Amino acid sequence: MEDLKELKKIEQFADQCMKCGFCSFFCPVYQEERVETSVARGKNYLVKLALKGEQKFTDELGKIIGKCLLCKRCVVNCPAKTQIDRVVVGARAQMVKNKGLGFVKNFAFRKVMANRKAFGNYVRLAKAFQWLLPKTEGKIRHLPDFLKALGQGRNIPEIAKTFLRDMVKPVYKPQDGKAPVMRVGFFMGCATDFVYPELGLKMIDFMTKRGIEVVVPQEQSCCGAAIYFSGDFETGRMLAEKNIEAFKDVDMIVTGCATCSSTLKDYEKYLPDNEDQQKRYEEFKKKIKDSTEFIIDVMKVKPEELKLKKEFEGKTATWHDPCHLVRYQNIQAQPRAILKGLKGLKYVEMPNTDLCCGMGGSFSVYHYDLTKKIAAKKMAGINATGADIVVTACPGCMINLIDNILQNKMPQKVYHFLELVE
Amino acid sequence: MLKESIKNELERIVGKENVLTTPEALKAYSYDGTTSWIREPDVVVFPTTTQQVSEIMKLANKEKIPVTPRGGGTNVSGGSVPWLGGIVLCTTKMNKILKIDKENLTATVEPGVVLQDLNIALAKDGLFFPPDPQSFLGATIGGIIAENAGGPACVKYGVTKQYVLGLEVVLPTGEIVNLGGRTLKNVVGYDLLHIFISSEGTLGVITKAELKLNPLPPARKTTMAVYADVAKAGESVFRVLENGVIPDKIELLDNWVINRIEEMMPMGLPKDADAVLLFECDGIPEAVEKETEKIVDIVKKYGAIDVRIAKDMDEANKYWLARRAGFAAVFGKAKTVFAEDVTVPRRKIPDLINKCKELAKKYNIEIVVLGHAGDGNLHPAILTDINNEEHYSRSVKAMDEIIEEAVALGGVLSGEHGIGLEKQKFLKRQLDPVVIDLMKKIKALFDPNNIMNPGKIWE
Repeated sequence: MEDLKELKKIEQFADQCMKCGFCSFFCPVYQEERVETSVARGKNYLVKLALKGEQKFTDELGKIIGKCLLCKRCVVNCPAKTQIDRVVVGARAQMVKNKGLGFVKNFAFRKVMANRKAFGNYVRLAKAFQWLLPKTEGKIRHLPDFLKALGQGRNIPEIAKTFLRDMVKPVYKPQDGKAPVMRVGFFMGCATDFVYPELGLKMIDFMTKRGIEVVVPQEQSCCGAAIYFSGDFETGRMLAEKNIEAFKDVDMIVTGCATCSSTLKDYEKYLPDNEDQQKRYEEFKKKIKDSTEFIIDVMKVKPEELKLKKEFEGKTATWHDPCHLVRYQNIQAQPRAILKGLKGLKYVEMPNTDLCCGMGGSFSVYHYDLTKKIAAKKMAGINATGADIVVTACPGCMINLIDNILQNKMPQKVYHFLELVE
Repeated sequence: MLKESIKNELERIVGKENVLTTPEALKAYSYDGTTSWIREPDVVVFPTTTQQVSEIMKLANKEKIPVTPRGGGTNVSGGSVPWLGGIVLCTTKMNKILKIDKENLTATVEPGVVLQDLNIALAKDGLFFPPDPQSFLGATIGGIIAENAGGPACVKYGVTKQYVLGLEVVLPTGEIVNLGGRTLKNVVGYDLLHIFISSEGTLGVITKAELKLNPLPPARKTTMAVYADVAKAGESVFRVLENGVIPDKIELLDNWVINRIEEMMPMGLPKDADAVLLFECDGIPEAVEKETEKIVDIVKKYGAIDVRIAKDMDEANKYWLARRAGFAAVFGKAKTVFAEDVTVPRRKIPDLINKCKELAKKYNIEIVVLGHAGDGNLHPAILTDINNEEHYSRSVKAMDEIIEEAVALGGVLSGEHGIGLEKQKFLKRQLDPVVIDLMKKIKALFDPNNIMNPGKIWE
């Protein structure tokens, strides 16, 4: 009998499914493939068989449970409230335990991403060769063949000249020189660190302008999304410990990345292996705030008092709900309040605004064709709005939205909401 | 085991990417929406054209390989489970809406179109397809026709068979035939069209359908009536109808279901009530107002202790969400659930409800009632556990008696789920042996080699 420890943890969730099949309507992958193994019901059924020892941990099973965006559309629409994300992630963790990570992921997760410094060096190396790549538009470059793993012909953003962590100070005092109204930790996240450092500086500036002291611990690491959602719980726990330790002196942690905020919050959901971890991850969760909820719910900023940057005056904006915001954290009102409150900006709601952009982290690396098809629906939604700019709060989504907008030769620009305000 | 040559031939017909034979894929096509009917096929094929379906059938007929047609696999009868193995012919990739004809109020669709997708497309033209099986998020038109599906709205609109004008069908021998047509009236020869509606995939594969549509009603209003006695709720159903109001839906939730829904998603349903009825009227606004007023008067006269009219769509949606959550509530609370599908003439609803209560006591088991009270299709559900032999056998006896009672009351053992595998053993209780024999002869005429969804309907 194979080890089933991780699967046992999610057995109760797998048992919730009553096989009604309603998930098929909401699953972006099933909508493209129309095959039962693509959809939650099919995946869940195979996991249940694995629990009974009637399904081995085959490569095929790995492929099937790998082909999920973890967008959670099926979860929020499930009449039986089956938490299929936990079933899928748990099954991936069991796969990793029993079969090991594939070489690519093993190298990427354990050798590179888990080690912040090494990650930085590898990104730097890629950066050194950037001038070789054909330039498409502004900061966007095509990926050359030697980075094929990330998808052929894909537009990826230029890697920053200087990484955020090489720019930031450990502590930022409020700009008015007064005693801080509160003290928070800033969690950078990989995309912000390596690709959008100006976004991180913006976030820090936004807070310190409003009387907040911001601490930026250098010891912070990757949130672990790509790692633990792929089933590498061991590395995931190591990162969790690093981040908990790095932020132990602050009561609140803010990040501008929707995936990071949800991933940090959800350590307690996916990762614990014992009661002690469960307790500490739960405590850690209480500290985490996504930038959208932090600005509206904690800072109590009045959106109409925010000043729109001049270049956006008269523009029409639409909002893309990142999966990790709208479903993982149930955050949808706050960013809309900000966009609707900004004077001089016209806001239009996007049809299918909560539809996944198709990125799904490493999903897009292994299933880039599917990513493009799923993104095509998002693109249709964007086009239907007539908006000039697409605004969101997840650098991951931004990267995929930009790629697909360019692929489809569309005129819209993509921004993080923080980029819109003075 | 599938012969390599057959697999190659299937791949030639539909393309390699449309043939699945991995053990994992076969397992994923071994079930439908039921819990206890599981059997793996030898191969799953996804044709994309009628011609391909025809070629698959010719091959299967020649080699005498069983073929089980399947759409979304949301059915709850075991009907799409490949009981004798062979080929699962999955229509989910034939999912084009070919034409929406606004002038004729018709639509031409492929069998794999999901009902909800169809209704979203139709709504843009102010139209809808009235039969509303509650699996509309996954159910495909081919399956809906093959099962003659219905739902809450059939009180007013009827079931699928009233909305199919014509079908293109591939016979088990591979011949492609067109039955019915595009007109509302059609009496040219025997009505073979309707033999296919509710044939449960045993006579052929539906490859195209001409559907009759209705204009979307401009107004809806939902009313909830609360009862201290579930049988009184049952009586209100036919009292409303006999007094001249035909709502589009009348649904019933009993005390047990109300409380489970409140646990899952608190929404202020009356937890002490023995039952509630949900009424929905649809049509032109003035008529909807008048009908709602009338319902309120009638239910008050016949024993409702409280009546609430949903003040807006939000409140109405809340009630209907509760209704839809009903089945999840039931299935979430027991290892095994017998979801009965008995249907009785509406005047007999209180008798059937009382019988269920009596049986629950007699066998000391939980029998909950929720369903389409408006058409007498009650869905009593028995909560049990297949691994608890003693409890399970009591539950089987109770189910037996419910079916017996329904038939004795002039009803039928299945209103909308179909016979499939689940209700086979009860078929003889309902149908005359001569009738069953006639059906078998019809089956043999269409399918001489018995390859089309074999093992279903009769034992």
